[in-house]
Amino acid sequence: MKRNPVLDPGLERELELLALRGGFRSSEDQAGNLFHWFRLGSPGDLPAAARLLAARGARLCTVTAYDPRREHDHPRHEVAYHFDCGGVLVTVTAALDEGEPRVPSIMTEFTNADWNERELAELYGIQVTDRPTPARLFLDESLERGAMDRVIPVSVLMNGASSSTLWERIMGERQDESGSLVVHEEERG
Amino acid sequence: MSGGATAKTYTLPVGPVHVALEEPMYFRLDVEGEIVRGVELGAGHVHRGMEALALRRTLFQNIVLTERVCSLCSNSHPYTYCMAVENLAGMTVPERAQVLRVIAEEIKRISSHLFNVAVLAHIIGFKSLFMHVMEVREIMQDIKETVYGNRMDLAANCIGGVRYDLDEELTGYLLHGLDSVRGQVEGVHKIYSSDRMLLRRSRGVGVLGAADARELGVVGPVARGSGLELDVRHNAPYGGYALLGVEPVVERDGDVHSRAMVRLREIFVSIELIRRCVRELPGGPTTVLLPEIPAGEALARSEAPRGELVYFLRTDGTDVPNRLKWRVPSYMNWEALGRMMRDCRVSDIALIVNSIDPCISCTER
Repeated sequence: MKRNPVLDPGLERELELLALRGGFRSSEDQAGNLFHWFRLGSPGDLPAAARLLAARGARLCTVTAYDPRREHDHPRHEVAYHFDCGGVLVTVTAALDEGEPRVPSIMTEFTNADWNERELAELYGIQVTDRPTPARLFLDESLERGAMDRVIPVSVLMNGASSSTLWERIMGERQDESGSLVVHEEERG
Repeated sequence: MSGGATAKTYTLPVGPVHVALEEPMYFRLDVEGEIVRGVELGAGHVHRGMEALALRRTLFQNIVLTERVCSLCSNSHPYTYCMAVENLAGMTVPERAQVLRVIAEEIKRISSHLFNVAVLAHIIGFKSLFMHVMEVREIMQDIKETVYGNRMDLAANCIGGVRYDLDEELTGYLLHGLDSVRGQVEGVHKIYSSDRMLLRRSRGVGVLGAADARELGVVGPVARGSGLELDVRHNAPYGGYALLGVEPVVERDGDVHSRAMVRLREIFVSIELIRRCVRELPGGPTTVLLPEIPAGEALARSEAPRGELVYFLRTDGTDVPNRLKWRVPSYMNWEALGRMMRDCRVSDIALIVNSIDPCISCTER
C-alpha cells in the first residue's frame, strides 16, 4: 500500500509559529490522509501564511467563509483557507473583526483566489483588502451584500409568484378594492 | 482572416443562452476579425443558494440535497459529503462498502467521460460519431438503471456506507455490460486518435501549458491534459482507492485533443478498477450505525469525473450543519478558458469551452 504523504516539517513549524495564539492541530481520515488545521492570531497574518505555503508549492483548493453565530450568539465571521500541500490538506483559519469584517487578499500568491474572494465578499459581506474591489461573481449588483447572513424565503425571493404569499397578496388587494369582501367570504365559511 | 489592417475589433457576446452552450454562462469576447483577443466571464444564471439550503437541513437530509447539485457527477457529491461526516465522527466504513462506493463512482465516471467526448464530436459536426458514442454511453445508463434503479442519481451512499449491494446476477450483468463498453470504446479511442478531421479541429486548439495550469490551480482531466499528475485517487487515496491504487492518466500537449484523450484512456482505467473491485469485493456489512455527530470541522475530497471535489463541514453538536461548503472541480477550471481562448478562432470557442467539461450547476450551486 502507498504511504500517505506528510507535511513538510519546516512548513509545519513556521505555520505553528503563526498560529501560536490561535492554536493548531491535525487529524486524519480512515485511509490515513492527514489534515492540518492552523488558527491565526489575526487575519493580518494571512499573507505571511500564504507566502509560506506558496513557497512550498501549495495549491489553493478553496476558501470557506462562515458565521458561527450559533456558537457565539452574535455575528462573527471566520474565513478558512484550504490548501493542498503535496497531498496533505492544510486549513488556515482567521477570525475576523466583529465590527468590520475584512480580510487581506492572497491573490498575489495564489491567482485562483480571485473567484473565492469575490464569492465570500458577496455572500458574507466581507471586505477583501489589497485588491481591486471584487466584482460580483454570482449575485446581481442590485442585491445587498451578505446574502448568506439573511434567510430569504423562496416566496419572497420570487416576489410572491407562488405559495401562500401570492394568495395573501391577491386577497389583500381585493380587500383594499372592495371593502369587506374578504370578511364576507370568511363568514360564509 | 486573422487581424491585419482590414480587421475590425468588436465585442461578441456569447450566452447566457446560446446554441453552443449546454448550460447558461455569459462570455464577453473581444474579437479582432475572426480571432479572440480577450475573454470575460459572467456567471450566476443558475445560482440556487444550495449552500444556504444545506444549513437548514439535517446532516441526514443533506445526502439527498448534495446528490442534486449536478447530475453528471451526482454520485461524487453525496460520497464526498458522507466522507466529511465520517471523518468528523471518526467512523470506520466497512471495506465492502468502500469498494462498492468505488464501483458506483467509476460507473459514473465512464458515463460522464463518454458524454463529454460525444459532445466534442457533436460540436465539430461529426454527428455519426456523436450518436455512436452516446449509444455506447447508453450501455452505462442501462447498468446504472439496473444496478441502482436510476439512470442519473444513484442514491448509492449513506453516512457510514452504501445503500446497495451486488448479488451474483447483478455482478454478471455489470461485467457483461463493461465488456461490451470496453470493446466499443477501443474503437472510439482509435477514431479519436486517427481521424484526420477530428485531429485537425482538436490538436493545437485551446492550449493550456503546464505552467499556466499550475498557476491557475486547474484540476481533473484539464490538469492531466496539461501534463500535471493531479489525481486525488493517486495523490491522497481515500476510501476504497486506498485499497486499490490508481495511476493517473496524463497527456502532455494541453490542447482540446489531450483533454479528450485523457478522458478516453481513463475509461479503460475505470473499467479495470470496477473489474478488480468485483473480483476482490470483501465480505461483511455494507454500512455501520450512525453515531452522534460531535461539534467540530472536517474536510474530505475525492476525484470526481471533472477533478478534485472538496467538502468542508462544520458542526456545532446539533444535527444541522453550521457550515457546509463544497468546491467543485469546474470552479477551478473556468478561469483557464481565458488562457485557452487567447488568440483562438471564433469557431473554436464552443469546442474549447466543452473541453473543460464545464458544469455550471456545480459551479454556481
